[in-house]
Amino acid sequence: MSDHGKPSHGPVTRVGESADETLHHAIEESHDSHAGHEGHGGIGKYLLVFLALCGLTTMSFFTYSAAWPWRDQPQVGWAFMMAVSCTKAMLVILCFMHVWWEANWKYVLTIPAAMMAIFLAIMLIPDVGMRNRMVSQERALHMARTADVKLLEEASKDSPLADPAGH
Amino acid sequence: MNASASTMSHGHAGHAGHDDHGHGHITLQYQPGLPLSRGKLIMWLFLSTEIMFFAALLGSYVVLRFGAPVWPKPHHVHLSEPIGAFNTFVLICSSVTIVLALEAARANKAGLAKSWMLLTFLLGALFLGVKGYEYSAKFSHGIYPSAPRSRIYERPDLYYGSAVRGRLEELRREPKDAWQAMQYKWAVAWHRSPQAAAIHGWKEPETVDRLKELDELPETALTAEQLDARRKLQQIQKMVASPDQQAFDMAVVADQVMPLPAEGPAEAGDVDHGDHGGGHGPHGLNDAFPWLRLPTVIPGGNMWASTYFLITGFHAIHVAVGLLVFAIMLTWKLNAKRAEAIENAGLYWHFVDLVWIFVFPLFYLF
Repeated sequence: MSDHGKPSHGPVTRVGESADETLHHAIEESHDSHAGHEGHGGIGKYLLVFLALCGLTTMSFFTYSAAWPWRDQPQVGWAFMMAVSCTKAMLVILCFMHVWWEANWKYVLTIPAAMMAIFLAIMLIPDVGMRNRMVSQERALHMARTADVKLLEEASKDSPLADPAGH
Repeated sequence: MNASASTMSHGHAGHAGHDDHGHGHITLQYQPGLPLSRGKLIMWLFLSTEIMFFAALLGSYVVLRFGAPVWPKPHHVHLSEPIGAFNTFVLICSSVTIVLALEAARANKAGLAKSWMLLTFLLGALFLGVKGYEYSAKFSHGIYPSAPRSRIYERPDLYYGSAVRGRLEELRREPKDAWQAMQYKWAVAWHRSPQAAAIHGWKEPETVDRLKELDELPETALTAEQLDARRKLQQIQKMVASPDQQAFDMAVVADQVMPLPAEGPAEAGDVDHGDHGGGHGPHGLNDAFPWLRLPTVIPGGNMWASTYFLITGFHAIHVAVGLLVFAIMLTWKLNAKRAEAIENAGLYWHFVDLVWIFVFPLFYLF
């Protein structure tokens, strides 16, 4: 209930003041608190987040390098990269988009949107994700299989054309 | 949430009872739903729709990718991880510069704000430029969205063999002048038939046999690599024309036309100075003679191309819209009065960055 400790809070409507005036007042107030408080952002903080983002990008790029120890288990790399991406996204949202310093309205918008986004992705699984479980004969005929990849790899390894006649 | 609750209780208990003596009725004051300005509220509402828009696209990609029996490796589709990482870096930098533009505007330093904004604009343009370069690398490898299909075949089978045969036949009567050939095609379409087009003076354009031309070139006119490629091309022509071809033969043909590079950076040590768009690794006939444009085999490549161009295309459109907004803002005086507009544009720009944060690993590193 108590907002006293926080630098940013919702507007308090005083009687006789229209809601719009209150809003403007509140916005000005919060802007003042930004300027004065400097708790909001600050160039040092932005640069710190920038360095963190660069570091995290390097980390996910590391999965591509030869030094990555789990090359034979791609799932480890995927999970790692998604964790890194989510961390980066949180840094951008919280710091650059100022959500960290916003009042509680932020939850009203972001939580439903995030939940709907997740549900949307889950709802795609049965129709889209599993569409290859049962396929028509025609599609099965033209669909790529792992066997094709093996065949191509073999062809690449011991192609009868690989060695030029002159060599 | 708690802010609004406290407002209500203050309003009622604290003041309403006393101040209403003269009027005899209570005027209720409503505070706005959310304590933020209209512009920002609308931007955030727009961004929540955007979250769902990209969630649908990226969600479909993930679901398609893991539901597919085969999905190409980034190398197979000529994606270059270092280029992707560079673009990520560019967008992160632009996120910082726009936030610095906002800070400068809030401090009423219009000139400084404008320079940061200009830098943001340039970084965004650089991102689009690199993206265009990557797209051109895809196009040159025959990877593009096309109706009814691109040059990508899913399997090295008889259908692929006949497609190669068809293209080789086309090469035997290629139009001498591509522009003239296109005009003729339009004329035939306009007049409904070649005969009708002929009445209006449209003649069939002259053709040349590109394969014969290549065969007749003296050995001295070709590099060692091209000489080898010519020899392989002749062998391939025999293979696709042979009536007793084996299943393996088509895989050999596909491998010669455009080999799927071996995976991993360990063996591909030449990643950094590879030709455009990660075209490192073994070179195929399509690389040796780009005019060949033979059909290629990339298992899972068509679905990959659809998702890649859809998602990166929509992202690029968002970047372009951002650039347009910045270009308009650059004509303004970016002082404290404009801080809110810059903030809203910045929110949008950070969102575009956010999308790329997920696109980069999903496409380049998965």
